[in-house]
Amino acid sequence: MAASKCTQLTAALSRQLLDSVDCVLFDCDGVIWRGDQVIPGAPEVVSSLKKNGKQVFFVTNNSTKTRQMYADKLGKLGFDATADEVFGTAYCSAVYLKNVCKLDGKVYLIGSNAMRQELEDVGIRPVGVGPDPVSGGQKDWADVPLDKEVQAVLVGFDEHFSYMKLNRALQYLCNPACQFVGTNTDTRLPLEGGKAVPGTGCLLKAVETAAQRQAQVVGKPSSFMFECVASQFGLNPERCLMVGDRLDTDIMLGSNCGLKTLLTLTGVSTVAEAEANQKSECPLQQKMVPDYYIGSIADILPALQA
Amino acid sequence: MAGGGCVTLRGAQIRDLLDSKHDVLFDCDGVIWNGETAVTGAPEVVSLLKQRGKRVFFVTNNCTRPRENYVQKFSRLGFTDVAEEEIFSSAYCSAAYLRDVARLQGKVYVIGCGGVMKELRDAGVPVAEEEDAEPGASIYTCPLDPDVKAVLVGYDENFTFMKLAKACCYLRSPECLFLATDPDPWHPLTGGRVTPGSGSLTAALETASSRKATVIGKPSRFMFECISSQFGLDPARSLMIGDRLETDVLFGSNCGLTTVLTLTGVSTLQEALAYRDSQEPQQKHCAPDYVMESVADFLQALEE
Repeated sequence: MAASKCTQLTAALSRQLLDSVDCVLFDCDGVIWRGDQVIPGAPEVVSSLKKNGKQVFFVTNNSTKTRQMYADKLGKLGFDATADEVFGTAYCSAVYLKNVCKLDGKVYLIGSNAMRQELEDVGIRPVGVGPDPVSGGQKDWADVPLDKEVQAVLVGFDEHFSYMKLNRALQYLCNPACQFVGTNTDTRLPLEGGKAVPGTGCLLKAVETAAQRQAQVVGKPSSFMFECVASQFGLNPERCLMVGDRLDTDIMLGSNCGLKTLLTLTGVSTVAEAEANQKSECPLQQKMVPDYYIGSIADILPALQA
Repeated sequence: MAGGGCVTLRGAQIRDLLDSKHDVLFDCDGVIWNGETAVTGAPEVVSLLKQRGKRVFFVTNNCTRPRENYVQKFSRLGFTDVAEEEIFSSAYCSAAYLRDVARLQGKVYVIGCGGVMKELRDAGVPVAEEEDAEPGASIYTCPLDPDVKAVLVGYDENFTFMKLAKACCYLRSPECLFLATDPDPWHPLTGGRVTPGSGSLTAALETASSRKATVIGKPSRFMFECISSQFGLDPARSLMIGDRLETDVLFGSNCGLTTVLTLTGVSTLQEALAYRDSQEPQQKHCAPDYVMESVADFLQALEE
C-alpha cells in the first residue's frame, strides 16, 4: 500500500486503511490506556471496529496479568473485550514453553503470580515465585538445593527480585541443557504521571550477565506474539494492522511479520524518531518506521463511524 | 604493551623478568589464594620479593571486605608481612574516587555490602541511610534523599527490586554520578561453582537508567592510578599477575604493564591463546605477555 512510509493518517487515508484490513492488533500501554487511565475515545474505537466486522486483539509485553485479569481491566475501563482476545506475555510465555521449548517438567520462575497461573493452566509447574531473601553465607549459595525436574528458567517482571533469585537462576543456567526464556526486554514499566519503574529488561539483563547466556525472548518485537494470535485465529498478515506507541517493539513486530503498522503518539515514540529511522541506512532502523502515524487512536473514530 | 604473546616463562627468563621490575601487583582470588586456602608457595614468593627490594601490591575487584579484614585474611593464610597500605580493593578505591577525584559534595546511595560501607565511612564519604521498609512502601513511591549526588553499585547479597528502583530514580538527574565497583559478571567459588557478581547488578541498573556506569575496578585504569598516586609507580617497571584475562590482563594492558597469567584460577591457556590469535584489537589486549602455572614458579628464581 504505502510506497512512502511514515505518513500522517488523514480521514481519507483512514477509510482506505480500514478497508484494507480485517484485523486490528492493539498494544495497550500508551495506545488504549496509560497506567490506569483510559485514552479518551479508545473504547469507542474498539466497539466501532467490531461493529464494522473487524477482529480485535490486544498484544502486550506486560507480564503482570493473566488474560482474565486483562479482560477485567479492559471491562472496567469501558472496553468490549474478552479474555481470549488478549495476548500478554504471561500467557504467551506459557504457550512458548509448552509448544516451542516442548517443556515437560518444571520451570524456575522469576515472575508474578499471574505468570504462575498461566503456566499452571498449560500444565507446567513453576517453582520460585514470591519473596526469596538471602540466607546463609556466600559458600552456601552455590549449593542451594536445585529441583532436578526444572528444565527451564523463565524471567518476567518480579517486584520480589533479589540477589537470591538471581543466584538460583544462575545455578540452574550453569547446566547448558536448561532452557532460558524471558518475557520481554522493555527497560521500564510505564506509569501514569511520567513516573517509571525498572522493567523486566533490567532483571533479564542481570540474569543474562551472571550466566553469560542469552535468553530466548517471547515478547515484542519477537514474531512469536503475532504467531500466537495468528495460529489460534487463522490471520492473514497482509490483512492485519498493528497499532502501537513504540517503534522498537510494536512497529518492529509489525515489520517482522509483514503487518501494516500505525504509530500512535500518546505513548513513548515520536514522529521525529520515526523519521530519523526512515532516513537511516541501517536495515534494523528501517524496520522501525511505521506505515502511518496518528495523534491518538481516537482520531480514527470519524472515519470508522462514517 | 598492546596484547602479549602468551610466552611460557622458564628458568632464567623468570629471573630476568623480576630483575627488570620494581613493583609487583598481584590479583588475589585465583592467584595467591583460592577461597580460604593459600596457593602453595604464594606466601614465600611475597616475602622473598620484598626481601629482594621489590614493592608488592594487591589489587582485587572483590568489594565485600574492608581492608582491615584483608589484613587478617593474609595473616590467617600465612602471609606474614602484608600491610593495609599495600591492599587495594575496589571498595577502597571506589571510596577514594568519590573523595579525591569526584570530590563528592553530598551523599552516595549505595547498593553494596558491609565492605563498601566501611570503606566509605573510613574515607569520610557520607552514605544515604537505607530506611527500613515501611509497611505501605511500594516501588512506585520511594522516598528520595535530596542530598544524594552519586550512586555506587557493587556486589550486594541483599539486592532487591526496591533498591534498583530507588537507584534508578536518583540516576534520573544527569548530575548524579554513576559508579560501579567492578564489572565481574560472576565470581568463582570453590569447587568450580559460581555466584552472581557486581557486573550483573550493574547491568540491571544500566538498563533501567539508560546510563553507563563509571567502573572503578579492573580492567579500568583507576585502581592503578590510585596506587600510583600514593606510591609513584612507573608502568614500565611494574608487573601485573592475575588469573582472569578479561579483568587482570586487560587491566595490565590498559595501564602499560607487563602481564603474567597464572593458571591457578579462572582463565585457561586455551582462552589466552584464543585472545592472542584474535583479529580484534580489543580482544588482543586480553592476551598476557607471559603464562605461568602458578606464582610458585617464581620461587626458584627468588631463592637463588
